[in-house]
Amino acid sequence: MTVSRREFFRYCVASATSLGLLPAQLKALHAALASSNLPKVVWLHGASCNGCSVSLLNRIADTAPATTVDDLLINNIDLIYHTVVMSAAGDLAVSALKQQISAGGYVLVVEGGVSTAFGGHACTVWTENGKDVTFQDALKLAASKAVAIISAGTCAAYGGIPAAGPNPTGIQSVSAFLGKPTVNIPGCAMHPDWFIGTVVQFILGNPIDLDEFGRPTAIFGRTIHSTCPYNPANGSTAGYATTFGGSPKCLRMLGCRGPGTFGNCDSLRWNNGVSWCAQSGAPCIGCTEPTFPGPDPLYAPIYG
Amino acid sequence: MKFVASIDPVTRLEGHMKVEVTIDTVRGRQQVVDAKAAGTLFRGFENILVGRDPRDAQHITERICGVCPISHAMAAVLALDSACGVQIPTNALWLRNLVMGANFIDSHILHFYLLAIPDYLDGPAKAPWMPTWGVDKRITGATAQTLIGHYVQAIAMRRKAHEMGAIFGGKLPHPPTYLAGGFTSEVTEEHITKFLGYLAELTSFITDVYLPDVELFGQVYKDYLNIGRGPGNLLAFGCFDLDIAGKSKLLRRGRVVAGAQSRRSSDDDDDDNDDDDNRVKSGSRTEPVNLSFITEQVSHSWYQPSRGLNPANGVTSAQYPKPNAYSWLKAPRYQAQPYEVGALARMKVNGDYTGGVSVVDRHRARAQETIKIATAMAGWVAQLKPGEPVYAEPTIPASATSYGLTEAPRGALGHWVRINNGVISHYQVLTPTCWNCSPRDDRRQPGPVEAALIGTPIRDKNQPIEVLRVIHSFDPCLDCAVHVVQPKAGAKMFAVPSFRA
Repeated sequence: MTVSRREFFRYCVASATSLGLLPAQLKALHAALASSNLPKVVWLHGASCNGCSVSLLNRIADTAPATTVDDLLINNIDLIYHTVVMSAAGDLAVSALKQQISAGGYVLVVEGGVSTAFGGHACTVWTENGKDVTFQDALKLAASKAVAIISAGTCAAYGGIPAAGPNPTGIQSVSAFLGKPTVNIPGCAMHPDWFIGTVVQFILGNPIDLDEFGRPTAIFGRTIHSTCPYNPANGSTAGYATTFGGSPKCLRMLGCRGPGTFGNCDSLRWNNGVSWCAQSGAPCIGCTEPTFPGPDPLYAPIYG
Repeated sequence: MKFVASIDPVTRLEGHMKVEVTIDTVRGRQQVVDAKAAGTLFRGFENILVGRDPRDAQHITERICGVCPISHAMAAVLALDSACGVQIPTNALWLRNLVMGANFIDSHILHFYLLAIPDYLDGPAKAPWMPTWGVDKRITGATAQTLIGHYVQAIAMRRKAHEMGAIFGGKLPHPPTYLAGGFTSEVTEEHITKFLGYLAELTSFITDVYLPDVELFGQVYKDYLNIGRGPGNLLAFGCFDLDIAGKSKLLRRGRVVAGAQSRRSSDDDDDDNDDDDNRVKSGSRTEPVNLSFITEQVSHSWYQPSRGLNPANGVTSAQYPKPNAYSWLKAPRYQAQPYEVGALARMKVNGDYTGGVSVVDRHRARAQETIKIATAMAGWVAQLKPGEPVYAEPTIPASATSYGLTEAPRGALGHWVRINNGVISHYQVLTPTCWNCSPRDDRRQPGPVEAALIGTPIRDKNQPIEVLRVIHSFDPCLDCAVHVVQPKAGAKMFAVPSFRA
């Protein structure tokens, strides 16, 4: 979950295009990272699957193995609280979190939606004086002193799959629950570069332009279909797939949601550029959209 | 004097877990005398599926868990293949196995280095390694430095395992490529070459770094061969089908019952034969699995009391608060007995692991399973046929009842589906962590993790790191608390009696 500053900067240079960084911004980033005040990050999990944390791990570590702790000691962030990776457990972990909340000045990242059923007891996150503390109460507390709130993934941003259908546990998005806007990095899971790119903008102190759904327009400013290499309108001669398997084609007859889904999966691709849904012959299921997964069958050709 | 320690959150696992241990001194030794493990997240996935197209299930259920999504996709498509009566092409068989194998490698490496190791050594003096419980950290100095280096290397390696999986899987976590009838991704020579490149690098890491590190850990913490045993009953549904019918598996289905020693007889000479069938090997004491013997009990879970209604119509109704209840997990039992699931269960059932049941044994079996799977994967890649079909169009039946059984990295996983009028009318998921982290059952028997904690020696009751070590050895994933909320009360036995493994 942590990389050295040097690795982080190297990563940003390598990914400058996908992160939307200009050379001048890279210089500013280098200067920002050289300062001694590491940004503090508090990461809370609500009704999540941890997939966004796992996805983040897929990019944040560079290949260079650090054989001594020195590289690790010089980190680009201080990850104060993240229950999947932190060494501390129980009260010790919670006291570290509370100290940071008292001090303020941290970026709050939320993964997962907010369970409101059963008075919030469908998701409890720690015990205090013998009582279970609900995620919704923990979130209110952590949000009160955060300098910025990032909703990481579709569940935190919009509710996502746990909020689908009958919404059994009364899931709300973070912004709906808190009654204030958050920076939304949707995706099920979110792409790690989308998250890192946004954090970089925070470090630089740059304003982040958001669309009506709280998504950075630098990433979510166009539909996947509009630049998809398999879209005949973009010069693809592969034609339309009518069954699965075979070389990549336009998948709209098989239910592809690309025409109504905002993001840059087609150019950025996933897992270090290895592939993405349409390249692997699978229709986009629209996982970055506020309506995801929606009531329609995922393979229904709604844009067919 | 009894002391109750509540550890909430239990960190370094997926999802939300709380454990309460009672510590006392018995016969001069301070130890855990009682334990309650609780899952504290509930999302109701099964009800989200009702009314949906059956082909949506693999996408929706993948999102139960970001660490083992592929196993959910596998269980979902196996269930739907069976409901449709479709024969998948052999390419699809290997593609499904390869992407799931990539996920096992990812998950096992992630587990040992990122989730387990911090219980045994101190990391760098900053967040997220600090603060920590500074108790009994026996791995120090240069050895600790080396392992921390491996921790960093492991982050890159598990990322590469995901990249390898994405070659065919499209994207990880949550690949979109599994579907009833096969797989969506084509097979090309370029894909194969790329996949083998990743596999070779990962195989080296497993052999040269992961396995030796686990052995080193087992030497330094030898006493943990006698800590964290639990009920000793082991269950595996089996996984990595080696034929279309699923009769032969890399890791077979079966049970080992506590007290009945599982061992390999000296004349059992086919241990390197992965094409072996699913029969019980001669000389072992592996028992068959009859799904109708599985029940889920809710006396200590936040669900309305249930008994005796038609299990095929079994649904559950949440009840919070509820006297004596302390978990969102139910208590699955086999013939009313608690069973441990996971890599150790699989490797023991398969006759591949001959050690005991303990904290160290769980880590060893997991590491040995990792290399077994990586080795098998090279063979599966060799069977791929570029340009040949990966998909056979299934016909979704108007009505059907079916199930799919497989394994997640952390243990046995089953999906049960009923289709009516072409849509899902009932869905049931039984996850591995429900077995391992289950609360007390109707007979007040503790779940496997609870039982494993009882008797664990504790050096410092205010910093009971031993408790974390026992819990982490199971690799729990509490994202598993998926059970359905229904407005009406109903019985909860999830297996349809006619099902037989």
